[in-house]
Amino acid sequence: MEAALAANSITVKRSGQTVLNDVSFQVAAGDVYALLGGNGAGKSTTLLTFLGFLSPDTGTVEVLGDDVGANLKDVRLKIAYLPEAATLYPHLNAYENISYFLSLAKATADQGAIDAALDRVSLKEGARSNRLDTYSKGMRQKVAIALALLRDAPVLLLDEPTSGLDPVAIDEFNALVRSLAEEKRTVLMVTHDVYGACQIADRIGLLKDGELVGAFDRPQSGQIDTEQVHAAFAGRSGS
Amino acid sequence: MTTILAIATEEWRLWLRSRVAILALLIVSTIIAATSLLNAQRMAEERDQRMHQQTVTEQTFLEQPDRHPHRMVHYGHYVFRTPPPLSLVDPGVDFVTGQSIFLEGHRQNTPMFADVRASANLGSFQLISPAFVYQVLVPLLLIALGHSVFVRERESRTLAPLLAQGVSGSSLYSGKFLALATLAFTLLLPLLILAVITTFMGEQCVLVASLTLVYAAYLLVWCALIALTSAISPSRGLALGVLVFIWLMWALILPRLAVASAGATVSVPGKLETDFQMYADIRALGDGHNASDPAFARLRANLLAQYDADTVDDLPVNFRGVVAQTSEAELTTLMNEYADRRMHAEQSQSLHIDRFGWLSPAIAISTGSRHLAGTDLANHHRFLREAEEVRFDFVQGLNQSHVEVLSYADDINRNQSAEASQRARISAENWEVLNLFEFAPDPSAERASRSAGSLAQLGLWLVMLLAVGKLASARIRP
Ligand SMILES: Nc1ncnc2c1ncn2[C@@H]1O[C@H](COP(=O)(O)OP(=O)(O)O)[C@@H](O)[C@H]1O
Ligand SMILES: [Mg+2]
Repeated sequence: MEAALAANSITVKRSGQTVLNDVSFQVAAGDVYALLGGNGAGKSTTLLTFLGFLSPDTGTVEVLGDDVGANLKDVRLKIAYLPEAATLYPHLNAYENISYFLSLAKATADQGAIDAALDRVSLKEGARSNRLDTYSKGMRQKVAIALALLRDAPVLLLDEPTSGLDPVAIDEFNALVRSLAEEKRTVLMVTHDVYGACQIADRIGLLKDGELVGAFDRPQSGQIDTEQVHAAFAGRSGS
Repeated sequence: MTTILAIATEEWRLWLRSRVAILALLIVSTIIAATSLLNAQRMAEERDQRMHQQTVTEQTFLEQPDRHPHRMVHYGHYVFRTPPPLSLVDPGVDFVTGQSIFLEGHRQNTPMFADVRASANLGSFQLISPAFVYQVLVPLLLIALGHSVFVRERESRTLAPLLAQGVSGSSLYSGKFLALATLAFTLLLPLLILAVITTFMGEQCVLVASLTLVYAAYLLVWCALIALTSAISPSRGLALGVLVFIWLMWALILPRLAVASAGATVSVPGKLETDFQMYADIRALGDGHNASDPAFARLRANLLAQYDADTVDDLPVNFRGVVAQTSEAELTTLMNEYADRRMHAEQSQSLHIDRFGWLSPAIAISTGSRHLAGTDLANHHRFLREAEEVRFDFVQGLNQSHVEVLSYADDINRNQSAEASQRARISAENWEVLNLFEFAPDPSAERASRSAGSLAQLGLWLVMLLAVGKLASARIRP
């Protein structure tokens, strides 16, 4: 089975510094892949490279078999991206934000569909018609996640999706990601939350200082062993 | 295309919610209303003053009793340049040139309220007119409203979600430009209304349309620049700083540099200096009041030969009149040479300044606007030339009466006695030499074609900035 996402020996420099060094990994279609790493490990950089916002200095990245650099626009339409600390327009309410950003991606959703997505991320109904500048960080994050869901894209790139969410919302979100995998959507999420990653990922890649230093696969039944990942994460990152 | 439209519409939603667009439109409308009222009032005052002067001087002239014809030459009268209706929008050089000239014998007076070195000014920069508002203030307003149009997305981190929806950087640029362009068109509404009003005052529709077009092109140049600067600036503050700097350069510094450069390149000799030289030349021509001046010896000899006469008393024409006529003609030729030289130099300076429009769109619009409004230097110069023709005709008309109606004997004996003086007068019927002078603004085709250069300059700026904007924004990263 062809990989939905592939990074082939990519090296990425930012401002002259090597941020990713010869990183290779693949995400199978319908899998949830969690890229785990400390602050500044290069997690966000990896996602930006898949989006074509950064071009690798060496190596290639592929999305659903397409080279990203060569098919920028097509690739972006196949990806729903949740940026780190996602923000949409503060002067618009949840409905207006979602409709606008969807329209840019040539997608549409009626009020019912938007409500369904906002239900899935459990955004309070009473707040949906308020401007986003009245929202808390977690509520804004939920709107952005709902937008990513409504994009109906085969690939989701999520940058620290649970940051800012309360524990209940995190649990709900983890369940949501598993259901996406069941819908055969491919999810690449980056996080430093070991527990959450182990709960939902089919595979975890451990990123340290721009290098992929370990990988953990989900066993046939159950989930990846948290202790093991935690030890690797804490030990190898030396903090 | 739908994406670009969606982006522009979204910008408008923001403007309308924060009420900035409405506020901006209010500000511009108020200023335009105030400046055009002031301008209209100034024009009305000048018209009243003109009518008053006209009636008074014409009546005085025509009501003169029977007199010696040469005394009438010194009475003189006024001619006026009626400003074209579009000078309500752009008074151009009218602010500094004055529009009425007193015509009399032997002299070419400068227009009243005159600072004749009209070339060395960009008229609309001196006082506030609707043209000044659109050339200088509206761009500043557009900067204030628009500098954040793109960089805002970067600062509030919404650029990533935008681009992630598959929107290209250049579509984003186009959308933001379109939003600014429609805002600029909204701000043009007061000008459009004012321009339409001038059509009821008799202005040609094609000129009104062209004027609106060059102002639209000018504001579009600003929109393209603002969108570009906002797209490539890392922060709002930097975008604002850069734009204000460019505004200072384009609207304030380069126009002054252009004037200084024109002054350095094409020298227009000072008025005192040239007048001094001219009066020396004039003295060499001889005094036309003194028929025995040696300067007229040849004229006398020629006339005597032509009529086969021995003395001037035997001539069938009044020799003193012939001298006055000839002297006026020679004098006029000389004065016209000086005037032509000065106007030519001023025109060269003006053309020199026009060329700075390639460097500053603000200069391009100020030039183009004045050409279209019919308030440019060329128009003023034509007024001076036509007024001079009128002056020459009426003076020579009186001199003709001097030659034909008054006999030489009566003329030279006019100071002998009261009766002799009576005999040296001619009938007041001869005062009907005043030509009705109606100064018409330049024809519309000519005004339009003169403004073509400015339109080309603005067009080039627009195309260039849009191309650079598209290219630069294509590489935008969050
Ligand atoms: N815009 C940027 N320009 C230059 N260097 C950057 C930029 N953003 C991040 N970096 C550097 O790249 C490295 C990886 O950053 P990032 O991918 O954001 O880390 P993570 O998401 O894992 O916390 C860090 O050392 C960071 O300092
Ligand atoms: Mg990050």
